[in-house]
Amino acid sequence: MSKAFGIVTSSGTHIKVDGMQDYRPIGAFSFMGRYRVIDFPISNMSNSGIDRIQVYARRKPRSLVEHLGTGRHYNINSKRGKLQVLFSETSSANDFYNTDIAAFMENIEIIERMQIHQPYVVIAPNYMVYTQNFDTLLDTHIESGADITLLYHKVNNAREAFLNCDILNLNKQKGVESIEKNRGTAKERNIFMDTYIMKTELFVSLIKKAQKVSSAYTLPQIVNMECEELDVRGVAHRGYFATITDFKSYFDANLSLIDFEQATDLFDPEWPIYTRTTDSCPTQYFEGASIKNSVVANGCLVEGTIENSVIGRGCQIKKGAVVKNCVILAQAVIGEDVHIENQVVDKWAQVLHVKEVVADPDKPGYIKRDDTI
Amino acid sequence: MKQNNMLAMILAGGRGSRLHDLTNKVAKPAVSYGGKYRIVDFPLSNCANSGIDVVGVLTQYESVLLNSYVAAGRRWGLDTKDSGVYVLPPREKADANLDVYRGTADAISQNIDFIDSYDPEYLLILSGDHIYKMNYAKMLAYHKEHNADATIAVIGVPMKEASRFGIMNTDETGRIVEFEEKPAQPKSNLASMGIYIFNWKLLRKMLIADMKDPDSNHDFGKDIIPALLNDGKKLVAWQFKGYWKDVGTIDSLWEANMDLLDKKNELDLHDSTWKIYTEDVSALPQYIGPDATVDRAFITQGCRIEGDVKNSVLFTGATVGAGAKVIDTVLMPGAVVEPGAVVTRALVADGVKIGKGAVVGSADSENILLVAKNVKGVE
Repeated sequence: MSKAFGIVTSSGTHIKVDGMQDYRPIGAFSFMGRYRVIDFPISNMSNSGIDRIQVYARRKPRSLVEHLGTGRHYNINSKRGKLQVLFSETSSANDFYNTDIAAFMENIEIIERMQIHQPYVVIAPNYMVYTQNFDTLLDTHIESGADITLLYHKVNNAREAFLNCDILNLNKQKGVESIEKNRGTAKERNIFMDTYIMKTELFVSLIKKAQKVSSAYTLPQIVNMECEELDVRGVAHRGYFATITDFKSYFDANLSLIDFEQATDLFDPEWPIYTRTTDSCPTQYFEGASIKNSVVANGCLVEGTIENSVIGRGCQIKKGAVVKNCVILAQAVIGEDVHIENQVVDKWAQVLHVKEVVADPDKPGYIKRDDTI
Repeated sequence: MKQNNMLAMILAGGRGSRLHDLTNKVAKPAVSYGGKYRIVDFPLSNCANSGIDVVGVLTQYESVLLNSYVAAGRRWGLDTKDSGVYVLPPREKADANLDVYRGTADAISQNIDFIDSYDPEYLLILSGDHIYKMNYAKMLAYHKEHNADATIAVIGVPMKEASRFGIMNTDETGRIVEFEEKPAQPKSNLASMGIYIFNWKLLRKMLIADMKDPDSNHDFGKDIIPALLNDGKKLVAWQFKGYWKDVGTIDSLWEANMDLLDKKNELDLHDSTWKIYTEDVSALPQYIGPDATVDRAFITQGCRIEGDVKNSVLFTGATVGAGAKVIDTVLMPGAVVEPGAVVTRALVADGVKIGKGAVVGSADSENILLVAKNVKGVE
């Protein structure tokens, strides 16, 4: 059993994914046709031997809770391990106060009780996609003697991307000098992956301290404030990294993984990403179907043309339909002779009557859940 | 048991020797089918969907994989407090020598204690190597409605093929008056599917008598059914309509897979009201590359396709390299067709690799080619 327990946080109030987030938290967003975004942090934890995991749920938790279930599909021991969903019930009408710290405060006894078995905590967000061995990261943290270890990813497109994320300012010894918002002022930045390792005891004291300083404080803000006092260090992450922090980044992250080489940067056969099965049968391609450069989940019926797209479980692409640069979520139907391009089609939606749904690749469109157009 | 007082026993001990190398290491019920399934998933899912909670699986031949596979009852949702899948290979007993199951009836006889522990009113006997979807609850309702001692599921087969089957001759009420095993001159086309519902008390008595009979084959078709008819018991035929296949040979296994390519195939695995459940594999969704073509195919997760796939069924993790062609072929789990290779009218066994540029099978072969060993590439 790991020396750490896991916390999977939900996105802060500054993150907004238009459309999709009206129906479910980002953690429950469909990803690559068969996964949900939260499968990544939980599988990372499970594969690292962390089998006591708290998932924080803020708004519209139904779909998330349904997906998580008992956590058995994440390979978490059903007796020794535990997957808890913790709700923030006293959320304020003013979103300003609905911080991660407020959610932790609400469940502080449960966090404190974790200390008995797990002296460390690994915190990871439910809105970022990456694989990381937390067990080796924990070893690095302990060996370094640091108080807090933060995971970051070095990028060279911070001017136009990752604009809803925080960045780490590091000194030469990888010490974190400060955490601040990415304001898009420089190309090269260390994007903070909202992933922390520290002693549970320190985590509890930071939560309490943050509440005293400001009732609107968030975890990165209090850690930033403590940077001078505490030994806070950054560790660079390698491999595929994507954030789902706005609509465009959701669209782009899905399409980026159609490239198999890119996907092997994220998916390692020795590091399985678990998800909940829906027991759908294989996908059936009919005579005349044409499909290129795409990722398709099971249970689909394909008669039309698919290009450069991600197709979720149980979708139907009818005869004559052309699907290009799209992310189609589970159970959607693209009707006969419909031409659809640069769109996210949400679950159960049917595009039947409007025969041309084309958007600009820089401004992908969105078809609502359950909608018929 | 709470649901309908019927316990199911699946006969899964057979080798299926006409499947040749496919069953060298696994019993026929564990053979892969339909992209992501094993044959035994069908009777097990049917049980789960029919509200049967307790299923015994009688295994014998090469049962290591099969035993561990079916023991995970949660795959079919058979893991509630009152349900379970129980693996029952032959065992040593205090009052008898360790012996193999000598026949289908003997397999049940040797597990009377297991069945008694659930005290069922009805016993459903199934075969572990048939592909079909059936609601056993409907069959049980028919059994009760007709006050039968035993009900046998039958399926209409073409008259000219009837002499290959066990044929049930019935009267106008559906009561079975005669059973003929592979008759030269069949009188009816109702073939037994090897699916029986018995009143357990009666069957129990018959089995105990059968065990003591030195001349018996201890077989349901050869011994138990004729004995029941001799005793004047009420046996009725319940006619099943739908897809049913006993895949005995490489050709028929290939064909059963190809059936899935039909637009209106009767098995309809897409039907969400009667799902077939199986092992939950952690695999990527299927990747279709930029230069791939896919025309009339049944493909599952974990596959990666860079070449051309036509009229084929690809199982979990099968890969087709760039420039390779896979035509009229079944690629079993993990089969690899390397770049430039051409595979036609073949069934490529689990994990088998067809090397670069190799040409395997031919479009006008009479039989389907079973490729059970790696094929070297052509440099």
